Formats: sequence, structure tokens, C-alpha cells
Amino acid sequence: MNISTASLASPAVLSLTEPEPKEIDALAFDYFLIELVNTLKDSSAVASKRNKQREDDMIAAGILAAPAPLPSLSVKKDSIRDSVASAKSAKALEEEEEAVKTRLESIGYQVGGHLAERLCRDRPRFSDTLDTVKFICKDFWVVVWNKQVDNLRTNHRGVYVLQDNLFKPLSRISSYNGSADALKRAKLYLAMPCGLLRGALARLGLQGTVSSDTTSLPQCSFQVKLPKGS
Amino acid sequence: MAPPAALPPRIRAIAFITPSNAPILVRSYAHQNELQCHYIAHMSLDVIEERAPKATDCYLGHLYSMEDVAVYGYITATRVKIVIALALADAVVKDGDIIAIFKALHTAYYQSLANPFLQLSQPVGAEGQDYSLAVLAGGGKWKGLRMRVDAIRKAVGAADDD
Repeated sequence: MNISTASLASPAVLSLTEPEPKEIDALAFDYFLIELVNTLKDSSAVASKRNKQREDDMIAAGILAAPAPLPSLSVKKDSIRDSVASAKSAKALEEEEEAVKTRLESIGYQVGGHLAERLCRDRPRFSDTLDTVKFICKDFWVVVWNKQVDNLRTNHRGVYVLQDNLFKPLSRISSYNGSADALKRAKLYLAMPCGLLRGALARLGLQGTVSSDTTSLPQCSFQVKLPKGS
Repeated sequence: MAPPAALPPRIRAIAFITPSNAPILVRSYAHQNELQCHYIAHMSLDVIEERAPKATDCYLGHLYSMEDVAVYGYITATRVKIVIALALADAVVKDGDIIAIFKALHTAYYQSLANPFLQLSQPVGAEGQDYSLAVLAGGGKWKGLRMRVDAIRKAVGAADDD
């Protein structure tokens, strides 16, 4: 070995540079998302029940003023099969769903950020915003959902619409009560993907909002709004 | 036997810096004090700022030499800046080697960052818009990253054994 050009990068360094890729079954993520949504749904139902209980206790103890009585909302029993949910008013249900969505999104935000960091390792830096969004559409999408985005549109003013005609988390959702109900349920499963995208974009330096929209399963579109000038 | 004259240069300091220029980890290996490492990192930030907008590559090359160290810079696609200071030596330093070390450091960074237990001490939602805050929270006691960085430094040092 020629010592005069003694190499800094020993095999030990190279093995740290190229860590062995770890692989998991692609379906694991599907199963995970299904379980995650349901678990968090239960968890946040318990949390909101506890909060309500605490509030009621405080009202009973006279610490907190009682809220103005709400106009009685008709309880929609027909479309909701869950026994937990059926007894609750529409407003409480909405609040609960919002809480689950927030949780799912923040989990997605973390995961998306770390994933973006990882995927960026072997690529050059991004030249502009469109380049970054394209990276999300191609590399990021392939890793998470095993395909590329089908359609990307932009108004060149910071709004990007990413459309996927067969979005994986939605591909197996159906309901006893017809497609309208399935669509309603599907919304919950889009919270984590939204968070994933937002987290990945944030880590790449683009702080924006991501909203999802689906009109017919399993098609889905994400609208990414980035602040002007980015 | 080959002359033992040109040993590969040792790493004297390694620094990770967030996109908003806050220090994540500043690790010093020389006998000099920690302050000088912060000083080196500060100086390299100026040079990085100057070069980064023009460069499309992550590797920014040799930034500057000062006293007895040569400083190299790297900026990831996620705009995390990594700086290493090598002791000046006679041996030729190849860019490819430095890039390999930087890649290893970046790998160490994201592996440590992905630790799901890292931010448990952080109140939920406190990170706000800038994740650097969450990173900083781990700065002082961020053992995982420190251990990984030390391992890389050791691996680099191992080169002079063969």
C-alpha cells in the first residue's frame, strides 16, 4: 500500500458512510396506518372524555362558570356504526375527529421530516422550490407509497396540487353504508399523509400548509400552499 | 517497510450547525479548549454563507486554514451545515475521502435524529415552525449523536493502522 497518499477513508469509514440498508415489508406500513388510526381514535376519545369529566367536576365545584346551554343538536345515529360515537352530539364528534387528526398529523410531521433527511443523503442540493416539490413527488412518494405522483400542477405562485389516482392508504377503504360514508371515513386516513408531506417540506426549508381532498376513492389530491417568495 | 512519514491527518474538531445557524453539536478532540472550536465553527459559517448560494454540490470543499488546522465544509440538502477541522499535515487529502467522512457524519446525524425517544423531554408542539429548537434541546445531552460522531472519528483514525 502506498503510504504517501494515506487514505483518510478506511473501510471502517466507508461502512459508516454506506450503512446497510434495512428493509421492511411494504405492507407493514399499511397495517401500521390502519392500527394507528384506530388506536389514536380510541385514545383521544378517552382523553376528551377525561377532559369533559374534569370540566364537569370544576363546574360542579363552582370553579368554572357553566357554559351556555347549546341548542340541542339532532343526533345522527344512522350513519355512525361505532357504539362509542353514536350517543354523542355531532359537535363532540367533530371535535374528537379534529383531535385525532391533529395527533396523526404531528406523528406524520416527525416521520416525514426524518424520512426527508434520510432520502436527501445522496442527492445534490435543491436548486429551487419546484425542484423540492418534484423530489417529494418522485423520490418521497416512491419510498412511502410505492409509486409516483400522477399529476403535479402549480400556479407558480406557491400553490402546488399533487394528484394521485390510486392513493395507497385509500385503496382498500369501503363501507357498508355506501361510497359517501366510505369517503367520510377516508378523511381520517389522510391526516397522516398530510403530516408526512408537511414535515418533509418543512425539513427541506419550505414551511407551508398541506390539505387533502378526495372526491372519489381511491383518487386523492393534496394541495400544498407555500408562503410567497419561497 | 514504507516510511511512516505521512500519516493521515487527524480530525481535530467536528461541528453540526442547524439551517438557522444554531449549533447542534460542537465536538473537539484536540487539547485546545472548546472555545476555539466554536470560534472555528463561527468563522466557517461566514465562508459557507458566501459559497453556499453558488454551489449546487453539498460538498463546499476546503474553507480556510487557520493556525494548525484546515477546515472543510458540507451543507446537506436539508441545509444542515457540517464542518470538520483537520490537523494540517503533509499527506495529500483527497476530496473523495472528505466527502465520505461527511456522508458518514450526515448518516450519523439522521440516525440519531430519528430516535423516537429523543424529544420526549420537549413539550408537544413546542417545536413550532423551526425544528432546530427541538434539535437544540438535545444539544447538551445528545448522547446518541456524540457517540456516533466519536465512532466515525475513531474509524478515520484507524486508517493509520494499516
